[in-house]
Amino acid sequence: MTRLSPCCGMPGPTAPRRTREEVDATLQVAKLNAAELLPTVHCLSFGSGTSGAATGDFCLLELEPALCQQLEAGDSFVIRGDKDEQAVLCSKDKTYDLKIADTSNMLLFIPGCKTPDQLKGEETQSNIVHTEVPLCPVPESESSVCVPSLPLAENFGYKIFGFSNNYWELRRCRPKLKKLKKLLMENTYEGPDSQKEEDPSRSKYTTEDLLNQIQASEEEIMAQLQVLNACEIGGYWRILEFDYEIKLLNHVTQLVDSESWSFNKVPLNVCLQELGPLEPEEMIEHCLKCYGKKYVDKGEVYFELNADKVCRATAEMLLQNAVKFNLAEFQEVWQQSVPEGMTTRLDQLKGLALVDRSSRPEIIFLFKVDALPEGTQDRFNSLFSLREKWTEEDIAPYIQDLCGEKQTIGALLTKYSRSSMQNGVKVYNSRRLIS
Amino acid sequence: MVQIVISSTGAEGLAEWVLMELQGEIEARYSTGLAGNLLGDLHYTTEGIPVLIVGHHILYGKIIHLEKPFAVLVKHTPGKQDCDELGRETGTQYLVTALIKNKILFKTRPKPIITNVPKKV
Repeated sequence: MTRLSPCCGMPGPTAPRRTREEVDATLQVAKLNAAELLPTVHCLSFGSGTSGAATGDFCLLELEPALCQQLEAGDSFVIRGDKDEQAVLCSKDKTYDLKIADTSNMLLFIPGCKTPDQLKGEETQSNIVHTEVPLCPVPESESSVCVPSLPLAENFGYKIFGFSNNYWELRRCRPKLKKLKKLLMENTYEGPDSQKEEDPSRSKYTTEDLLNQIQASEEEIMAQLQVLNACEIGGYWRILEFDYEIKLLNHVTQLVDSESWSFNKVPLNVCLQELGPLEPEEMIEHCLKCYGKKYVDKGEVYFELNADKVCRATAEMLLQNAVKFNLAEFQEVWQQSVPEGMTTRLDQLKGLALVDRSSRPEIIFLFKVDALPEGTQDRFNSLFSLREKWTEEDIAPYIQDLCGEKQTIGALLTKYSRSSMQNGVKVYNSRRLIS
Repeated sequence: MVQIVISSTGAEGLAEWVLMELQGEIEARYSTGLAGNLLGDLHYTTEGIPVLIVGHHILYGKIIHLEKPFAVLVKHTPGKQDCDELGRETGTQYLVTALIKNKILFKTRPKPIITNVPKKV
């Protein structure tokens, strides 16, 4: 490590500004030829209050170019986290882990300092630029700017703003959204007449409340609310109690059946007229939105129902009634339970139910991806404690959401599991001993 | 949960500063602290190579354009008058004061400047 001791500095805040003569004298002592230098000199000094970033008054944040552009556009970021959580930084649409990176070098921040390219562009005459490094934001009047074309004897101070041995580093991470479902499940919505709605002590969350509680960006939270089929009721985000959601869905499918509509063309207005007396109109529309896609035809609003989603919800309703099912029996009951015209397929149940083909008879049971831990290692541990060896096809729905921006399922498996061949099929098991 | 806002005033309010990276550390000669002291003179050669003279040392460096720029954040701890439009007290904030897109890196050992060589011993 090198230690430098600035010698020419007089101690104290009253250090006089250097003159061109002094600068030239120093150059001569240093045996530098002024003709080989650009005419502008930055005389760097520490402001009277200059301090290190260790005081916590300021810090450096390293940015991706995209984030830098957002700041230049005037966007804000938010650092979120509870005392027991790792801090994250959220932009409007992305989440980043926030870490402090140390360096053994000294980083000095110099306001107003020019690079040689900038100076050459300005065609300056011989100037001395006094750069002081002030501690706090420099008032306009005091912040010295390299003024071009000034007489030789003129002095410009460049104050060093501060110095640091570390900076904040950002790394893109998955939003931490598991807590969102947990919060909303505290008080599910069972319809307007439920007694729960009259109990003011039950927890309810506005968008603002969720931003305060969840370590994710606003856009990521809003996207997840859609995934969860959450609904904004009276200004609060609620998840429908599953039985209530199924009840609404049954009203809709029964109406479709009795009116002999196509699942591709369910008219909103008639649904609201017919089902309005049974359930609130907003709930019927919400159900159509969750299980279908809205479109407009000749001024009328229609929904195209998604058969896969309807089949999946029906399967969940059946499976939640028992620990495990005989696969063949389940498939028969399932097909009978979905509306006529819809076809059930096991691949509709990805991340919801798991089939065990090694048992006799073959069984199927409810196994939801969103009940598993959020951390990658924890996730693999709980998967491997359920089942020792997985095929890629079986495990994929349970690790898909762990993939980062450019990460594939294959890469995750290579890192967190060991593969082997079993009866000609590639299977994956844990790298560690699972207790 | 704690939420700390990092706010920016947008392009017009954002100055561009330069970061100077020195290997090692700087100490004041008389342990008086760095505040108020002169650090040294920064020159550029006509080829654009930065030259820093600190005391009896001379350093040659280079200009590096940062792939990942830095933002200088200044902490702003609110007093009583700092409330948001709803009258709620706002918490600690960071204000983006400047962006840093270039740094001057001095990574070689400083060369001593030899003066006062006695002519006759």
